[in-house]
Amino acid sequence: MMNMTSETQRSTNAALNVRSVSKAFTARPVLEDVSLTLAPGEAACLYGVNGAGKSTLLRIAAGLLRPDTGSIRIEGWDAKEHPETFRRHLGLISHASMVYAELSVQENLVFAADLYGVSNRVERIERLLAEMELTPFRHDRAGILSRGLLQRLAIARALLHEPVLLLADEPFTGLDVEAVGRLIRVFEEFVGRGGTLLMTTHDTRLGLRCSQRAVVLDKGQFLLNKAKDEIDPERFADDYLSYARGEN
Amino acid sequence: MKSVWSGFRAVVVKDIVIELRARHVLPTMIVLGLLIVFVLRLVSEPSSGRAEMPMMAAAALWIAFLFSGLLAQERSFGVEQQNGCVDGLWLAPMDAGTVYLAKLTANVVILSVFELVIVPIVLLSFDLRIEGRWLDLVTVLALGNLGLSSIGTLFSAVVQLARTRGSLLSIVVLVVLMPMLIPASFALLVLLGAMPDEVAGSGTMAFVGSFKAARGYMLAFDAVFVVACWLLFGVIVEE
Amino acid sequence: MRRWLMVLAMVMLILSTGLGLTKGQIVPVQRNILYVHVPNSIGALLCFVALLIASVAYLITDRPIYDLVAAASAEVGTVLATILNATGMIFSRAEWNVWWTPSPRLVSSALLWFLYVVYLILRTSLPGSYRRRARVCAVFGIIAFLDVPMVYISARFIPDIHRPDFSFESAWQTAALVLSLSGTLVLAGVLLWLRTDVLRRRLELESQLHR
Repeated sequence: MMNMTSETQRSTNAALNVRSVSKAFTARPVLEDVSLTLAPGEAACLYGVNGAGKSTLLRIAAGLLRPDTGSIRIEGWDAKEHPETFRRHLGLISHASMVYAELSVQENLVFAADLYGVSNRVERIERLLAEMELTPFRHDRAGILSRGLLQRLAIARALLHEPVLLLADEPFTGLDVEAVGRLIRVFEEFVGRGGTLLMTTHDTRLGLRCSQRAVVLDKGQFLLNKAKDEIDPERFADDYLSYARGEN
Repeated sequence: MKSVWSGFRAVVVKDIVIELRARHVLPTMIVLGLLIVFVLRLVSEPSSGRAEMPMMAAAALWIAFLFSGLLAQERSFGVEQQNGCVDGLWLAPMDAGTVYLAKLTANVVILSVFELVIVPIVLLSFDLRIEGRWLDLVTVLALGNLGLSSIGTLFSAVVQLARTRGSLLSIVVLVVLMPMLIPASFALLVLLGAMPDEVAGSGTMAFVGSFKAARGYMLAFDAVFVVACWLLFGVIVEE
Repeated sequence: MRRWLMVLAMVMLILSTGLGLTKGQIVPVQRNILYVHVPNSIGALLCFVALLIASVAYLITDRPIYDLVAAASAEVGTVLATILNATGMIFSRAEWNVWWTPSPRLVSSALLWFLYVVYLILRTSLPGSYRRRARVCAVFGIIAFLDVPMVYISARFIPDIHRPDFSFESAWQTAALVLSLSGTLVLAGVLLWLRTDVLRRRLELESQLHR
């Protein structure tokens, strides 16, 4: 009885609550009845081979894809019932930068600020430009930016409206050492301020570095969903799939 | 409420700014329009007797308008394909209907620029005059523009993914727009002086009715389709 | 059940034809094509209503069966619209010596046919998931239906110089028309039913193959 109350309490206060989500494309199931709850200030990393369903789950969590069954809630706000509040609370960093090549760095941020109705727009933009060290590039057209700069702009865009939940789909892909370091710092500061992070990555060491919870997705289901201190990091980093399969 | 307006305004301004800077479609639209007018002017030369010229001019104008207009519609979601920007729109806490209205507004503006260029060209090449009824002309063109753009904006969101992109959008938009072209052509011929404001009964005239009725029809058509497309847009983009 | 309905439809159509050729014959002879033209006109419109209802039902309930009914109505509607246009053109040729002319009836028939055909092309050409295609087609179905009254109203701007002065002179003619209409509608209904079934089974088969 006590367990159930704390579980439901955990769900209603959760930063992210994924409940019994399934998704199939034509007849092929990609996600089967997966559930996940993240508390505020928690950072989790999702691991899995290509095609395991990581990106699909992240897109569903972002409200871009509708699940066949189940629900997604951010701080209790359901994606279907309160779509606008739901979306206001999340930010997404994905492979695509979602940035307009013909607009400058600053113009892209102004656009994003207007989309989200950010109130203290000028101040927020200045702060993020400084944090992401984009200030010298503010008037450069986004089309000529390098990959690293583009990534920084995408991060600034995602954090502009102060989301509660940050979703990151393989954010370290193609980044150099300096950019990786910067991104880790960004994630740590975000989580430190009470934000919740859910990311996917192939690089297990980076994933373990940035998160406190490890989730392994295989063939549409969670094989493993544990806090970092409950797993053996060395063996996990070596081959998380066998480790996860071994655990079951 | 505030974010609805700021989001709407942001998308409209962004679309227009990007078009001005990158000039994705306007040059092509204008050149295509000019070529169409050119061809039809050449073809109509043999029947250069006064009677047929307004008809050919009206035909040239509407055909140029349709084909260039379709290019403008493709732009609305074509521009969002780069860098996955379309996801950026759906992630925002903006209602799909607002996105539709913003895209529609941008399309109407861009198509209006085209109309501003092509109408004088048609009048010049076919040596015709609009006797003082400029406001009526603007109204007819605006109503035609809104009709085309309302349907085009709705379906361009879908057709972006199809392989047969352009042609699929063309047939969908044209077939729905077709009925409006009848009173639209009538209205244009009246303005070009080829027909009286009121044509009653039957006879060898191409149209019957009145200019006011034609304009009223176009207005009703636009009202129905803007509202219908606005309401259905959310359905069509949902994944 | 369907077999009996089919027989009923055939009987009505044969009776109608018989009547039309004998007691109910209209003078001049080409006008008898109206016995085919008018029922197909009404049938094509009713198929559009079916298309609308099925499209709306699909969007509201998300059940594939409604999408299949919509597809079937579009197919049957296309057939009826084709016959409608063909008979219209034959009539036009016989009565006024031109195969086609922009008269209100011919223009509306043509636009109706175009709406159906574009719907079918959309169904086959759209890539993406089944659900996405079905939703887009449903939306087009609704838009196209809204277009139908627009078609008929806009046709009023075209002079109807060739309106046949037609009125029913005898009860036989009325009977022939009513029989033809009923027969056509029953036949269309049966075809719709059959086609929906075929589509449903095909869908089931496909989803089984994928497993």
